[in-house]
Amino acid sequence: MSHSARTIIVAGIGVLALAACTSNTPKADPSDAAKTQAVSAGKNDEPGKKVKIGFSAPAADHGWMGAITKATQAEAKKYSDVELVVAEGTNDVNLQISQVETFINQKVDAIVLLPFDGAALTAVATKAMEAGITVVNVDREFGSPAAARTTVLGDNYGMGVSAGGYVCSQLKDKKDSIVAEIAGIDSLPLTQDRSKGFKDALAGCGLKVNNRVAAEFTVESGEKAAANLLQAAPKIDAIWNHDDDQGVGVMAAIKNSNRKDFFLVGGAGSANVMRDIKAGTSLVKATVVYPSTQGADGVRLARLLLQKKALGDLVEVEVPRKVQLFAPVVTKDNVDQYLPTAFES
Amino acid sequence: MSEAALLTMTGIVKEFPGVRALDGVDLDVRAGEVHCLLGQNGAGKSTLIRVLTGAHQPDAGAIQIDGEDVQLNSPTAAIDRGIAAIYQELDLVPGLSVAENIFLGHEPSTFGFSRRHEAALRAREILEGLGHGEIPVRREVGSLPAAGQQVVSMARALSRDARLIVMDEPSAVLDPEEVANLFRVIKGLTERGVAVVYISHRLEEIREIGDRVTVLKDGATVATGLDARETPTQELIRLMTGRSIEYVFPPRAEILSTAPVVLSVEGLSRPGEFAEISFDVRAGEIVGFAGLVGSGRSEVLETVYGARRAATGSVHVDGKRLKPGRVQSAVKAGVGLAPEERKSQALLMDEAVFKNITVSSMERFASVGFLNRTAERQVATQLAESLDVRPPGVDRPVRNLSGGNQQKVVLARWLLRDCRVLLLDEPTRGVDVGARSEIYALVRKLAASGVAIVLVSSEVEEVLGLADRVVVLREGQAVHTGPAQDIDEHQVLDLVMEGSSV
Amino acid sequence: MSEAPLDTTTSTQATVVPPTAQRNSGLLSTGVGRNLGLVVALVVLCIVGAVTAGDTFATGPNVLTILRLAATIGVVSIGMTFVITGGGIDLSVGAILALSSVWATTLATQQMADSYGWIVMASTALLVGAACGLVNGILVAYGKIVPFIATLAMLAAARGLAETISDRRTQIVANNSFVDFFGGSLIGVPVLVWIFLLVAAAGWVVLNRTTFGRRTFAVGGNAEAARLAGIKVQRHTAALYVLAGLCCGIAAVMLMARTTTGSSTHGQFYELDAIAAVVIGGTLLSGGRGTIVGTVFGVLIFSTLNNVFTLNNLSISAQSVAKGVIIVIAVLLQQRLASRTTSS
Repeated sequence: MSHSARTIIVAGIGVLALAACTSNTPKADPSDAAKTQAVSAGKNDEPGKKVKIGFSAPAADHGWMGAITKATQAEAKKYSDVELVVAEGTNDVNLQISQVETFINQKVDAIVLLPFDGAALTAVATKAMEAGITVVNVDREFGSPAAARTTVLGDNYGMGVSAGGYVCSQLKDKKDSIVAEIAGIDSLPLTQDRSKGFKDALAGCGLKVNNRVAAEFTVESGEKAAANLLQAAPKIDAIWNHDDDQGVGVMAAIKNSNRKDFFLVGGAGSANVMRDIKAGTSLVKATVVYPSTQGADGVRLARLLLQKKALGDLVEVEVPRKVQLFAPVVTKDNVDQYLPTAFES
Repeated sequence: MSEAALLTMTGIVKEFPGVRALDGVDLDVRAGEVHCLLGQNGAGKSTLIRVLTGAHQPDAGAIQIDGEDVQLNSPTAAIDRGIAAIYQELDLVPGLSVAENIFLGHEPSTFGFSRRHEAALRAREILEGLGHGEIPVRREVGSLPAAGQQVVSMARALSRDARLIVMDEPSAVLDPEEVANLFRVIKGLTERGVAVVYISHRLEEIREIGDRVTVLKDGATVATGLDARETPTQELIRLMTGRSIEYVFPPRAEILSTAPVVLSVEGLSRPGEFAEISFDVRAGEIVGFAGLVGSGRSEVLETVYGARRAATGSVHVDGKRLKPGRVQSAVKAGVGLAPEERKSQALLMDEAVFKNITVSSMERFASVGFLNRTAERQVATQLAESLDVRPPGVDRPVRNLSGGNQQKVVLARWLLRDCRVLLLDEPTRGVDVGARSEIYALVRKLAASGVAIVLVSSEVEEVLGLADRVVVLREGQAVHTGPAQDIDEHQVLDLVMEGSSV
Repeated sequence: MSEAPLDTTTSTQATVVPPTAQRNSGLLSTGVGRNLGLVVALVVLCIVGAVTAGDTFATGPNVLTILRLAATIGVVSIGMTFVITGGGIDLSVGAILALSSVWATTLATQQMADSYGWIVMASTALLVGAACGLVNGILVAYGKIVPFIATLAMLAAARGLAETISDRRTQIVANNSFVDFFGGSLIGVPVLVWIFLLVAAAGWVVLNRTTFGRRTFAVGGNAEAARLAGIKVQRHTAALYVLAGLCCGIAAVMLMARTTTGSSTHGQFYELDAIAAVVIGGTLLSGGRGTIVGTVFGVLIFSTLNNVFTLNNLSISAQSVAKGVIIVIAVLLQQRLASRTTSS
């Protein structure tokens, strides 16, 4: 389900890709041994051979998924040498498979694919690869490594770790603090990963999750879950809410309860929440990013691959197999850095 | 009655793709008269009425009201000119109250809020004017009997100040006493100067209520301005059919007392509908049921057929007991039903004639479930020809046939099954004069071939003329059983109405 | 057939309908004629596709892409055609498909398939589909629950059960011979497309040439008349839902092969896609009139539409609007042309 996603920002290698486009650090010419013409990060932006890239993603039925497509299209527009073909967002794997088949028929150079279901799209992605098309897998992983040249992923476990780390830093002196968690759809692996990261990080400072409820990534379910939580726990010091979309409902429930005894950490990183953090007037003190720019990064990587360019700032001359984005904590101190790339929910 | 024409239609032509439904119709109607429109089914009466009420636009011809040329472009235009129609299938909203129906589309209101009290008062006023002040104005129309609904329909026309009301076979759904009531209402209307265009197949009604008669045939006026009381029946029939016919019942054949009992009904009851009904029908015999609407006559028939489940009692066909409440069981035993409401209970109106004929005998044309359509068509064509279904050709939808021909299709369906027992409920309702005689002859012929027939009809004359034995029902009880020759129309009417308020 | 003019002077009654040459011979009434609007719509779509993306659109592989997309939803739509023609509606087709796909890909089923072959998975899907259909049929025919509500309940229940069984996880089809067989091709045409063609052909024959089909029209056109004519209306109604469920089972097998997965999220909104295809095809939503050929056209129009849109990189919102407009135009065209060819 599309609930996966959310988070991050460019970490590790991803950061470098970002650096590449804003590039102001020219790099030494690549070694003459390189077969591909690895160029400096700055040179990566220069127009190269024209490339046609197909993009397909699930239906934009919530803020984060809508932001993915918007960011992807905006990114493609920046490059005169990229022609982006966008298929209608769909939660029907049958239709999404057909869209990929159509891209193959159309002989696009690359396909950036955020599958509704990674396993279900593996076969057709493999077919595309076999037809000589570069496939870039985004956010939800295929079942086979042969199905994509490279994969851009968020870091769900890392989200939990970041959120837990922030809670620890705020409550480190009070060992008997009450920590609550409002998760997303509980049966999804991504939710389980996030919760595990959160628990592990809290354990590092001697805290644990005292109260835990699960919502369903929607505003309405967030309201219901939070209302229940506030009833069940008369005293809370910190709450981590997995998702800023459902967070709208969570905030509504908190407002109704008139409670002010705790602070809230968000998830995914919507622009709304970041503006709240910046204003400093609400209970939301921080949020953990799950980047909605994964598709945009996918387009960039596809372009680099097709034009046989390397990632700037890496010695390696090939684009890496996998790029996992980082899940940073956004607080009042650094919110200006992240606000421009945050998604509007 | 004034001599000046309220409405004059001249040379009206209306064509549908491939059909010239009206081919030069003339009609003039005076204020305060009952003008009868006669013609067989398909003569163009319905189309003429649709033109008059603005539902169809004529291709040629002129319509004048009070001597002034008018265009009736829409039903609203016709209503504005004071023309209203009451159709056989009443166009009331069953879920709304009597008052709401009467003022549907022009409710008394202030700023969009309906003034319910005023509507109720005015509705009561109109109903009283029609002599039916007893109809509760807040009652749901759907819960009224057919006669009551008809009165509501008339009240609706009057509420719009109608000057001319078209009534399409208003008596078809009514019992004799209700018809008498209807006639009182019509007389009241004409006294107030309202003109009534009256359509009916029953000549005796026309004699009683009508002033002048216009006869249509094949989409054209063949006679107009005839005196409704003086013109001889023979003459009217000759004009309608183009030849003179006798309205006759075929002679009865002798039923041998040795003929086997085919259908045997014993002690059949359904609480609230009928009780302890028993009768036998021998091969070749026709047993007729007479009774008012609500006497349980149709219910008995449907229970015998298994369409309703009997509370007590049994039905045997050829000595074998039928499973109660199972149509399947009756059909298998060779029982067929031609129900009262042909359109809603018997026919698949949009399907071809041949499919309607073979629907109960499909197995006969199927091997391993696959239908042999050639054989189906052949057999259906033969049957249709032998029953003189018109127009010929078994591929057209049943909807396009007249009432009489639709009834023949239903009969053909059961003929095809070689029925042992045929249950006929109102076999000539909505059937015109010419086709009636044909159906009578057909029913008689069927009996002669050994079929046991049960006939239900609201027309006593029909029951007495066609049946060998008569069962008279009153309030669910059989009050008389005996040979048809031994009883006359008056006696039957006495029996069915005995104890009733009339 | 053409008819000789009637001689009305000698008949005992006037003709009801004056003699007209009925224009309903052969092809015109049954095939192309009645579906003229659909043919026109599809041809126009193809012309648009060929003009705007000719080098890709008009190629063999692209035609197969369109057909593969049409195949799964097509099979569901054939079942839906029967239910709607019989006067009902089935909102649970997508959920039944999901449940069938999940049940057929559970660990237990797949282990059995390892010993006895993929036929185990295929028949499981078919059985689950038919069983769900049977429940629908019993609720509607014998329980006298309105089809809309009964199948709505099934929609919720089947998808919920699918989620429970799969724990909302995607189940991978591990049986390679299953994927190889159904994902493969026969004489250059994908097996999935063959299945669609077979189901459509069988559907046409059953609806138009058998007692079952004739009864379907009768039950949908006038259930009371059908009952009084001696047709087992309840049993037939139930059978129609079983048939629809069976089609969902077949579609589940096809989707399992195409995606190599079984999932509780399969077939979302297929009920709407199928109903749209069936109604565009000219089947009367109120029952009594139905056409398999029309349904096939309806499905093809939708999948061609999706293909042309993807090829032309239309903006996503524009695609949705265009789809709505095209549905209305197709239905209008269909009604106009159909009434012109059948009216006499």
